[in-house]
Amino acid sequence: MSEQTPNPTSLWAAVKGLPGNLWHSVFRNPLPANDLERSATSFTNFFLHIHPVKVHKNTLRPGYTLGLGLISSFLFVILVATGILLMFYYVPSTTQAYDRMLDLRGTVAFGPILRNMHRWSAHAMVAAVFMHMCRVFFTGSYKKPREFNWVIGVVLFLLTLLLSFTGYLLPWDQLAFWAITVGTAIAGYAPVIGKDIQFLLMGGTSVGQEALLRFYVLHVAVLPAVLTLVVAIHFWRIRKDGGLSRPAEADPTPPMELMAGPDPKPVELKAKKIYGIQGLVRGPLTKVNNIPDNTVFSWPNLLIAELFTFIMTLSVILVLALLFNAPLEEPVNIMHPPNPAKAPWYFLGLQEMVSYSAFWGGIGVPGVYVLLLIFTPYLDRSPKGVGKWFSRDRLLANTIFLTFVLANVIFVIIGTFFRGPNWSFVTPW
Amino acid sequence: MAVNLKRSSQGPQRISRRSLLAWITGAGLVGSAGLSVLSNLVFIKPRVAYGQPQRFSIGKPDDFPVGTPRIILEQRRICVVRDGNRMAAVSTTCTHLGCIVGLSDTGFACPCHGSRFDQDGQVTGGPAPRALPWFKLSLAPNGELEVDKDTEVTPGSYLTL
Repeated sequence: MSEQTPNPTSLWAAVKGLPGNLWHSVFRNPLPANDLERSATSFTNFFLHIHPVKVHKNTLRPGYTLGLGLISSFLFVILVATGILLMFYYVPSTTQAYDRMLDLRGTVAFGPILRNMHRWSAHAMVAAVFMHMCRVFFTGSYKKPREFNWVIGVVLFLLTLLLSFTGYLLPWDQLAFWAITVGTAIAGYAPVIGKDIQFLLMGGTSVGQEALLRFYVLHVAVLPAVLTLVVAIHFWRIRKDGGLSRPAEADPTPPMELMAGPDPKPVELKAKKIYGIQGLVRGPLTKVNNIPDNTVFSWPNLLIAELFTFIMTLSVILVLALLFNAPLEEPVNIMHPPNPAKAPWYFLGLQEMVSYSAFWGGIGVPGVYVLLLIFTPYLDRSPKGVGKWFSRDRLLANTIFLTFVLANVIFVIIGTFFRGPNWSFVTPW
Repeated sequence: MAVNLKRSSQGPQRISRRSLLAWITGAGLVGSAGLSVLSNLVFIKPRVAYGQPQRFSIGKPDDFPVGTPRIILEQRRICVVRDGNRMAAVSTTCTHLGCIVGLSDTGFACPCHGSRFDQDGQVTGGPAPRALPWFKLSLAPNGELEVDKDTEVTPGSYLTL
């Protein structure tokens, strides 16, 4: 920044200034010492500019968000990292896949822990994404203007389930084979296009090499790419919809004004005039005049919270991976399904429903659930009760949602503990 | 622009050259996007599917002794029924979601979702929507039994030896 070079073109000066020049070309700002520099850093750093310069205090209350959205995205990061490493040793072939699993367990350095981390993160991500959805519902955070971000969230939940489904087929063990058989058969029950979808998924008329290859491509390329894009839109919309939801009384004074009206004029920057960095940002967070400021700087407040959440998430996954081995069943035997043939816990509710009726349990009821979820913010238009857990104003909506959640939890419990050989009812004790 | 507006307010509705070209261009773009989606679908739909033959020989009738009325051929996913001098081939692929049913005391039972079938493959319980199909069983000139999984026959129609 402050090189006093007498002759800037001399080679010696260039060599002498090289480390500094290199450093400052990469990092445009010094480590921030005051608020203005923090703003500048947040704006100009690629990795930081995903954050707002300032966040509302409510956003940082751990008891409000429980950090579930962040945990979900960090789990996805862990899954991508461990997944890429696993790809170095995996072959999507019906004759090799299972042996590769045994190799991972037996001969690959850090193989078991990588596979365990990948498996437990996948389970944890399904749970975290679902709990994140519950948090958003119970705090009424899907309401205007966040309706569409809720819809994107529902899509992300479905993508998470699809990723975990396509993932547990890859070991090509008994669970994999019978899950893919049942899963594609369920798709076949969809009206009109069901049989075509089933044929496209299996790449043939029966489950075999083509199906494994297709699910592998979906799992390692198509679905992660789609999920990454949708997550980016999800994050973007959080900012553009005015940050995380908060109760109306969190900002006691007059409603925040938008800087620009319906027909914004181009901002004219004059050389002499100094604009505060915030002044250039349009949107609900822009403050006018002397409204009390309930926001704090993202650097360091939000960054520390994020770092803490990441370390906690990674630690929990590491401990789980060290303590528990990811299950691997017998190699595929296309003649004998295991008895009972059970899906992972998060699909056991579905399996229980399917055991009553393939169409209604596998297509009809889940389809209605998804439609209800998607249309929730467009059916519940009352602006009351936003930003509070279990608000009195939302007693009806919360009760309905809780009923659905409990019904599915009960189905999962029945499927997990109360179903024995031939899917007949058994008591676990 | 002003001229256009004036025209449209007076005479019959006229489309300007500019908007006509814009519409044609837009339709072309949407059309080619649709075509490329379609061609991708055509691409991922395999033209050749690999699998076991649907018509195959299962051996001579003597290979299925009268004493054991039901023998499951696991690789073929059928159950060969022998009732005196009558024989039949019943599918062992569950009509619910494609698992393999096993023999039970009363007929067949599916381990995946609990469908139950009687000796003839009729549904007696669980979520299965249809009875287990019976396949055409015939005696080839060389004396071997031949199963045709592409041809279903009505349950109860046996091959009489």
